[in-house]
Amino acid sequence: MDRFTSVLLVAGLGCFALAFVLSGLYPWLITDAKQTEATIAEVAYNVTTEFKQLKEMYPVAFADAYPTADECLTDRDLASADDDDPRRAQSDDAWRAAHAFALQAGRDTYVAEACWHCHSQFVRPVANETQRFGRIRVPADENNALQRPMMFGTRRVGPDLTNEGGKRSNDWHVAHFSDPTGTSPGSIMPAYTWFFRDGHQVFRTIDPDSAERTGIATSRRYPVPGVYATQADAEAALQRASDATPDNLSTERKRLVVGESEGPTPNALNVIAYLQWLGTWTDDDRREPQQ
Amino acid sequence: MTSVADPAQVAEVPSEPLVDKGLVKWHLTAAIFFMVTAMTWGFLVSLQFFGHYPFEGISFLSYGRVRLLHTNEIAYGFLVNGFVGCMYYAIPRMTGKSVASSKLGWLIFGVWQFIIVAMSVGQLLGFGQGVEWGETPTGFRPGTWELQYIPVDFLIELGAVLVAIQFLTPIVKSVRKHQYVSLWYLTAGMIWLILTYVMGNTLPEWTLAGTSGAATVGLFIHDLVGLFVTPMGWGLMYFFVPVILRKPIWSHALSVIGFWALAFFYPLNGVHHFLLSSIPMSVQYGAIISTMAVEIVVTTVVVNFFATMWGRGDALRTNLPIRWFFTGMICYFITCLQCMFHTTLTMQEIIHFTDWVPGHAHLVMLGVFAFWIMGMTTWLWPRLTGSDWHNRRLNHWHYWLTVIGLVIMFGDLTAAGLVHGYMLAALSPWMEIVRAMHGFWVIRTFAGGMIVAGQLCFAWNMYKTCTGEVKPYDYRVDLATVEA
Ligand code: HEC
Repeated sequence: MDRFTSVLLVAGLGCFALAFVLSGLYPWLITDAKQTEATIAEVAYNVTTEFKQLKEMYPVAFADAYPTADECLTDRDLASADDDDPRRAQSDDAWRAAHAFALQAGRDTYVAEACWHCHSQFVRPVANETQRFGRIRVPADENNALQRPMMFGTRRVGPDLTNEGGKRSNDWHVAHFSDPTGTSPGSIMPAYTWFFRDGHQVFRTIDPDSAERTGIATSRRYPVPGVYATQADAEAALQRASDATPDNLSTERKRLVVGESEGPTPNALNVIAYLQWLGTWTDDDRREPQQ
Repeated sequence: MTSVADPAQVAEVPSEPLVDKGLVKWHLTAAIFFMVTAMTWGFLVSLQFFGHYPFEGISFLSYGRVRLLHTNEIAYGFLVNGFVGCMYYAIPRMTGKSVASSKLGWLIFGVWQFIIVAMSVGQLLGFGQGVEWGETPTGFRPGTWELQYIPVDFLIELGAVLVAIQFLTPIVKSVRKHQYVSLWYLTAGMIWLILTYVMGNTLPEWTLAGTSGAATVGLFIHDLVGLFVTPMGWGLMYFFVPVILRKPIWSHALSVIGFWALAFFYPLNGVHHFLLSSIPMSVQYGAIISTMAVEIVVTTVVVNFFATMWGRGDALRTNLPIRWFFTGMICYFITCLQCMFHTTLTMQEIIHFTDWVPGHAHLVMLGVFAFWIMGMTTWLWPRLTGSDWHNRRLNHWHYWLTVIGLVIMFGDLTAAGLVHGYMLAALSPWMEIVRAMHGFWVIRTFAGGMIVAGQLCFAWNMYKTCTGEVKPYDYRVDLATVEA
C-alpha cells in the first residue's frame, strides 16, 4: 500500500485510541483507581430492613427465591429463639448471601425490563434536583459491580431512582407493580403483572363503622402483606394476627379474611430488594465480606 | 486534487457486471422491512404514554422490551442493511473492482438477518443489555461468563469483520495516490464499527465499572453514530450526489478536511451524553468543546453539498432522490446546530432526560440518515428491478407523509422537552408533569402514525415494482422524470 495511505490509516486508528484514553482511561486514573471496585458481597453487606421485612411478608416467595432463606432469622424468629440457638450465628451470613443474590438478580431484571429507559439513576447538582431526589450522584456510586454496565438511564418518564431505598414501603412497591394507577392515579408506568402469581392471601375489609366515617366502600378488600402457599398457612397467619391483637381491638379479627389472590414472585422480590437498596450504600459502608 | 476519480464520470450502464444486483436488492429489502417493523414498534410503544398500549400485561411484548426493538432494529436492521446494500452498488463502481466474493455476500446477508432476528427475540425474552443503542444481548448473564442466550454481540462483531473483508478487498486492490473521499469514509466507517462495538459491548460489561465505565458507554453511544453511521452516510452521499446530478462535488479539498476533522473530533464527544454526572468535569468540558468543534466539520459537508447543488435547484422539483438528500442535509444542519447549543451545561440543566433528546435523535436518525437511505433506495430500486416505479405518486406520498410527520414530531418533542425540563426544575409534583405531557404525547403518536403510513406506501410500492408488470424505464431521462 502507498506509504502515505498507511500513515493515514494509523492516524485514523490513533484518533479512536486517543479519544478512548482521554475519555475512558483518564477518568479511571483520576477517580476510580483510587478505590478498588466494590464487589456485590460488599455492597450487600448491610442488609436493608426492607429486605428483612420481605421474608415476613412473603414467606413463600422468599423461600423460593433464596437458597439460604431458611437460615435467615426474622426478628420474630430471633425473639422466640434461645440465646444459645446455633442458628443465630449463621443468620447474618445467610441474610447477606440472600441479599447479594437479590441485588444482582434485581439489577438484571431492571436491565431486562428496561426500567432504565424510563428511570434515571443520576441526580445532578442543578435544576433543584437535590431537593426533589436527594443526595447527588458521586463517583463511588458507580464504582461497584452492580454498575456493569452503569445505570444512569436516558430519559425521565418516571422519577429518578438514585435514592429510592427506603423511600416507599415494600407494600407500596408491590401494589405499584401490580397496578401503578392504583398508587399513583394517572401513572403511565406499565403494570408488571408477570411479577405476580396466585396464592392465598389475608385481606383486610373495612368495618361498617369506620366505612361510614371515611366513606370507603365496605365491599372493598385490602390485602394485608403475605401470600401463602396453602389455605391452612394463610389461616394460621390470620390466627397469629388476631392473637397479636389486643382484646379491646377484637373487631380486627372480623375484618381479616382469607382469600385467593396474586402475590409477588421471587423476581418481584429481587426488584424490590434492589430498589430498596438504591442509594443506601455508600463507600463508607465498605467492609470485608465474611467468608 | 484534480486527479481524483470523479464518480460522475463513471459510465452508467444498467447491467454493469461489477455490481451484484441481487445483493443490493436483498439488503435494501431487508433494510426497508426492518425499518417498517422498527417504526411500528415505535408507534406502538408511544401508545403506552397515554395508557393505550395494546399489549399491557404480556411480559414479552411489554413496553420496556419492545422499546429496545425500536432503536436496535433501526440501528442494526435498517441502517446497517441499508448502508451495506448501497455499498454493494457504490464501492465496485468507485474502485472498478468487484467485492471479495458474491458467496461471501450471501453469507453475510444470511448471518446478518439471523443476528437481527436473534437480537429481537432475545430482547423480547428479557436478555437485553444495559447499554443504550447496544442493547443487543451479550448472551451472558450480566458481568459473568454464564451463557444464557445466543451471544448476539459476538455475532455482530463477526458480521462486521466479514463486511470489512468484503468491501476492503476492492478498496485495497484499487488504492491510488488520491482516494476519492467516499472511499475514505466507508473504509474508516467499517473499521471504526468493529472497534466501537468491541469497546462498548465488552468493557462496560466485564471490566470497567465506575465513571470510566460510564464514559465508555458514552463513547460507544456516540461513536456508533459518529464513527459508523455518519461516515457511511457521508461516504455514500459523496458518491450518489455527484452521480445523480452528473457533476463533480464542489470541492475535494473541503471534503478531505471534513473527513479528518470528523476523525479527530467526533470520538472525543462521547461524554456529552452524561454531562453534570460524576465523570470528572475536565473530561466533560473536553467533550463539550469537541462537540462544538464538530459543527465545523459539519459545515464543510453542508457547504460542499449546497455548493454542488448550486445551479441545479430545479432538481429539487424534478428529482425525488435529490429532494430526499436536500431535506436530509437541512435536517443535518439543524441537528448539528442544535448540538452546539444543547451541549452547554446551561441548556443541559433543563433539557437532559426530557423529550427534547428523543426529538433530536429522531431528527438525526430519521431526518438525516434514513432520509438519505430512502433517497438512495428511491433512485436504485428501478435500476435493480429493471422496471420503473409501480406508482410514482406513492413515492411522493412517502416523501410528504414522512417529512411532515417528522417535522411535527420534532417540534412537538422539542416543546415537550422544554415544558418537562422547566417543570422539573420548578419542583412540580411528578404526576403534574405526566399530565402536562399528555397532549404532547398524543401528537407524537399522531406524527409517528404519519411516518409509519409513509413507509408502508414505500414498502408496498417497492413490492409492486419488483413483482408487478415491468414498466419500461429509460435511464437517460430518469433524472428529470422522477416526478408525479
Ligand atoms: C413507561 C415508562 C416506565 C417504565 C418502563 C417504568 N416506569 Fe417506574 N414509573 C414511571 C412513572 C411515570 C412513574 C411515576 C408515577 C408512579 O408513581 O407510578 C414511575 C414510578 C416508579 C417508582 C416510584 C418512584 C417514587 O418513589 O416516586 C418506582 C420505584 C418505579 N417506577 C420503579 C420501576 C421499575 C422497577 C421499573 C421496571 C420494572 C419501572 N419503574 C418501569 C414510568 C415507568
